[in-house]
Amino acid sequence: MSRLIRKVAVLGSGVMGSRIACHFANTGVEVLLLDIVPRELNEAEKAKGLTLESKAVRNRIVNDSLQGVLKSNPSPVYSKSVVSRIKTGNFDDNLSEISQCDWVLEAVVERLDIKQQVFEKVEQFRKPGSLITTNTSGIPIHYLVKGRSEDFVKHFCGTHFFNPPRYLRLLEIIPGPSTDLNVIDFLMHYGELHLGKTTVLCKDTPAFIANRIGVYGIMSLFHTVKKMGLTVEEVDKLTGPVLGRPKSATFRTCDVVGLDTLVHVANGLKDNCPNDEAKALFVLPDYVAKMNESKWLGDKTGQGFYKKVKGSGGKSEILALDLNTMEYRPQQKVKFATLEQTKPIENLRERMKVLVAGKDKAGEFYRASFAGLFAYVSNRIPEISDEIYKIDQAMNAGFGWELGPFEAWDAIGVKESIAMMDAAGIQTAAWVKEMLAAGCTTFYKIENGKKLCYDVPSKSYKVIPGTEQFILLDTVRESKTVWKNAGTTLTDIGDGILNLEFHTKMNTIGGEVLSGINKAIDIAEKDFRGLVISNEGQNFSAGANLGMVFMLAIEQEWDELDFAVRAFQNATSRIRYSSVPVVAAPHNLTLGGGTEICLHADAVVAHAETYMGLVEFGVGVIPGGGGTKEFALRLSDNLAEGDVELNEFRNRFLTIGQAKVSTSAREAFELGYLRNGIDRVVVSRNRLLTEAKAEALRLADEGYTKPVPRTDIRVLGKQALGLAYVGANSMLSGKYISEHDALISRKLAWVLCGGDLSQPTMVSEKYLLDLEREAFLSLCGERKSLERMQSILNGGKVLRN
Amino acid sequence: MLTVKKNITIMNAYIIAGLRSPVGKAPKGKFRFLRPDDLAAQVIRQLVAQVPNLDKDRIDDLIVGNAMPEAEQGLNVARLISLLALDTDKVPGVTVNRYCASGLDTIATASAKIHAGLADCIIAGGVESMSLIPMGGWRVIPNADIAAKHPDWYWGMGLTAEAVAEEYKVSREDQDAFALNSHLKAIAAIKEGKFKSGIAPITVEEIGLDENNKRKTSSYIVDTDEGPRADTNADALAKLKPVFSATGSVTAGNSSQTSDGAAFVIVVSERMLKDLNVKPIARLVSYAVAGVPPRIMGIGPVEAIPKALKLAGMNLNQMDLIELNEAFASQSLAVQRTLGINPDVLNVNGGAIALGHPLGCSGAKLSVQVFNELKARNKKYGMVTMCVGTGQGAAGIFEML
Repeated sequence: MSRLIRKVAVLGSGVMGSRIACHFANTGVEVLLLDIVPRELNEAEKAKGLTLESKAVRNRIVNDSLQGVLKSNPSPVYSKSVVSRIKTGNFDDNLSEISQCDWVLEAVVERLDIKQQVFEKVEQFRKPGSLITTNTSGIPIHYLVKGRSEDFVKHFCGTHFFNPPRYLRLLEIIPGPSTDLNVIDFLMHYGELHLGKTTVLCKDTPAFIANRIGVYGIMSLFHTVKKMGLTVEEVDKLTGPVLGRPKSATFRTCDVVGLDTLVHVANGLKDNCPNDEAKALFVLPDYVAKMNESKWLGDKTGQGFYKKVKGSGGKSEILALDLNTMEYRPQQKVKFATLEQTKPIENLRERMKVLVAGKDKAGEFYRASFAGLFAYVSNRIPEISDEIYKIDQAMNAGFGWELGPFEAWDAIGVKESIAMMDAAGIQTAAWVKEMLAAGCTTFYKIENGKKLCYDVPSKSYKVIPGTEQFILLDTVRESKTVWKNAGTTLTDIGDGILNLEFHTKMNTIGGEVLSGINKAIDIAEKDFRGLVISNEGQNFSAGANLGMVFMLAIEQEWDELDFAVRAFQNATSRIRYSSVPVVAAPHNLTLGGGTEICLHADAVVAHAETYMGLVEFGVGVIPGGGGTKEFALRLSDNLAEGDVELNEFRNRFLTIGQAKVSTSAREAFELGYLRNGIDRVVVSRNRLLTEAKAEALRLADEGYTKPVPRTDIRVLGKQALGLAYVGANSMLSGKYISEHDALISRKLAWVLCGGDLSQPTMVSEKYLLDLEREAFLSLCGERKSLERMQSILNGGKVLRN
Repeated sequence: MLTVKKNITIMNAYIIAGLRSPVGKAPKGKFRFLRPDDLAAQVIRQLVAQVPNLDKDRIDDLIVGNAMPEAEQGLNVARLISLLALDTDKVPGVTVNRYCASGLDTIATASAKIHAGLADCIIAGGVESMSLIPMGGWRVIPNADIAAKHPDWYWGMGLTAEAVAEEYKVSREDQDAFALNSHLKAIAAIKEGKFKSGIAPITVEEIGLDENNKRKTSSYIVDTDEGPRADTNADALAKLKPVFSATGSVTAGNSSQTSDGAAFVIVVSERMLKDLNVKPIARLVSYAVAGVPPRIMGIGPVEAIPKALKLAGMNLNQMDLIELNEAFASQSLAVQRTLGINPDVLNVNGGAIALGHPLGCSGAKLSVQVFNELKARNKKYGMVTMCVGTGQGAAGIFEML
């Protein structure tokens, strides 16, 4: 592909524009962010004696917006350092600079006339052939290009980023009537590869794909909740994680997004989709209309379906809106027999089957909702998409549904669901019945390690375009499994490379995973060229199996605990000291033991959204799987002749001591969890395993040799020990940390310093591992450490005793 | 001509000139990149210019107080300052460290040497750049055994201020009121031009980049203290969070500011005084240092002041003015209350909370201030006193001549 994106211009610095600018900067692109010049001076500017000609004033709107989003949590940037790639300016003084940009992204206010005015100006300055896109959630793309030149129209396309664009993975691409095919291909590819998005090609229909289906879902629940006499918190319990959807479920999501935004989309659908069979649902129920009028819009106005109040004793409480009385009241505990029944079922697809079979009100709710949803999506083909997988991809990436509508339909059973619809008196689209009649019983199927999808126009199964470039474990696992145990599966991913995936609860690391690691390396050393450690779970790994450590400690089984810690240390050592390259490919939460695995890999290929940290302090111990040793080793390796060693020592000490977790893979480099020049970042989640495999192959091709165990780790001994003690003492005296924190800090310092050696000394990894294990075990004998573990095991809260 | 003297209170050493730089805010103030050697040299050049008859080769020594003598302040910075400031290689230099008392200690040493007949003319004072050298220095290597057994010996000063607040029951409200008062007095003093005659204006040459990334040379003159804030008030101070302890009362607002500054005096013997034919300003009557527990180092003056008074055969009521270095409002109030210092004579032009505390310079700076204020009020006796890290106090008594 010959088109290169070196510099982009983002027009409009509202929340969306500024955050899009940040995300481009995240991926290394130079950004010009522009907004309007203020009409008048504010008080502060007057006081400073500035005028409307001052640059600070002229760029105030854009600078304030950018600073505003930079303060938002979670952050729109991978690291503060990327912000310098964004240059701010204003439409009056800087618009001509778009002539140097390869792509102009318009993200001004959602008004047709204003967008048209902006494009008229853009046309004066843009470089011919450069991309020009409009970001919109509702304005039909074909209205926007009226009066524009041929070159403009050819390179013009709609995009729909979801807020916040760094985190929400969906990017809808909506071509106009004259958009060049190459431009569409480029955007689909660039969005996926460079921006890490799931790009979905949409038709120019109202609200495009995700919002059409998503808002249908919410509006239909707005009606159902009253009809069935359910409460707000009941619906959120029923439509959250139990269905593989976000914890914010339905009503909490409304509060986050803002009811006005939803109402805006719903009204648009009501007005612009006269033939939609569900259009009655887009009419607001009375209580929603009332909330909208009263400005109970959610978080932005302080109250919505929920309201946070300061209760007695200063503790805040979240009240729920009673839809009958329209008053806020304490949340009630949600109890349904069906939900109880599905608690032990880990597999979402299995769980869905049980949910719709429920005999209580919950079961009734699920049958009604799914019947409605399935019928609705079936009738949207071909209106909003010719292909069914696009609808699933859009809901998956845009609304965080683990299973999209057709995937859920497959899970519950295509045929069985039709019976459900008949019972509800709802009609599915004819093509579904035709499909069933032709003997095709599912929308998706896996054949020869490839995921196929039913294609409505051709009435046959086809490979999903784009997916052939990726390795997805879900599709290859069945046919390519080499070995497995209860906690891990080893899969042949081709070209002599194996992948080891964890599939324990939260992907925690216990005996099964450790033996999986050893076995995987045994097999790889014998018959393969390299090993990747990655998985497609929600998180790479939440860390070591704390329950096991806790049980052994509480029963004072010290020999067994010693054995278990040794096993962990041996497994991480094995990752480094094997005859084949081992590449770790973490994503999302990668904590404690999960981080220790990555620290020992020959290379790490991390997804951009990797949240890494040695968080053992929170459970009253220090990293005991080689993590503390590895920090001492890296500290030693990072020092150059003449450096003030203590500064680097202090950084390493504090990173573990404050249990710092990176907010991105980029930040993991800054915290010393990842290594510049060795480890790297992949923005596209879909490509992570593919890239990790390529890295393993590259290492193998370079002539990988088993490393020689290190005996040259320079530890500082007593020179640094005093500094650590003083630091811990000061924090303790200032009451920032507890006595127990101070104790753990001293143990950590002891290991990092190599003990109280009189002078800086070269030591071996084994020496440090022994110190690390001793410290870990001694902390497991502390009552307060056990209390910390128990607190995490019970409720997930870090106890600062 | 060695004369043996039996009574130490009779000192024939005279201070004939004294100057200080304005105090800059660290680490982002106007002296943020000005090296301490250059800063001190500018003050000394202007100081010796005040005594035109002085043959610089007759200066026996330059004694420079400094609390963090490393990096830009390392390599015996006193000798380098001498070479930079005096255009002769004949004047030696020694760097002295008694932390925050350094600048006063040097004046005492100079006086004592002259008194003993070991010298006729010494320039004494101190310099500190807290912009360039962090508190504690760049490479802190505490003794691990001490850290384990006596953690409070290594406490940061803020924690000791908290300990004093707790032990001496100094409330947050009182600390904030004291701090506000310091600013108000300092602002008024600057308005009335009270510091003018004691300040040596400092020229700062800056080489930077202009808007187009081109090398650009510019310079500016600093002649006023940067610390005092006319915009502070009780509400703003009350809103500040404690910075050294999660549950404490010591804030950035009621602590001294980190600063850059230099101050020096010229001390001469009687013989030199006659040779130069100048009028002396003052003499040091007595000087004492004392040790206190490191964890409450802030009460150091409580021990040092009575010791200095006893040496001088005087009592506290005879002091017309007292400059008590405001390391923290908590310790200043604890000292004031314990000794019963009359607030009307205490830090009449504000203190370090408003004006800044350039560690090793402060003792000399406060001395210059007390001379000028005593002169303005036509009063005779003044005291300069301060607490010192790791548990010390220092106090010096001056008599105007």
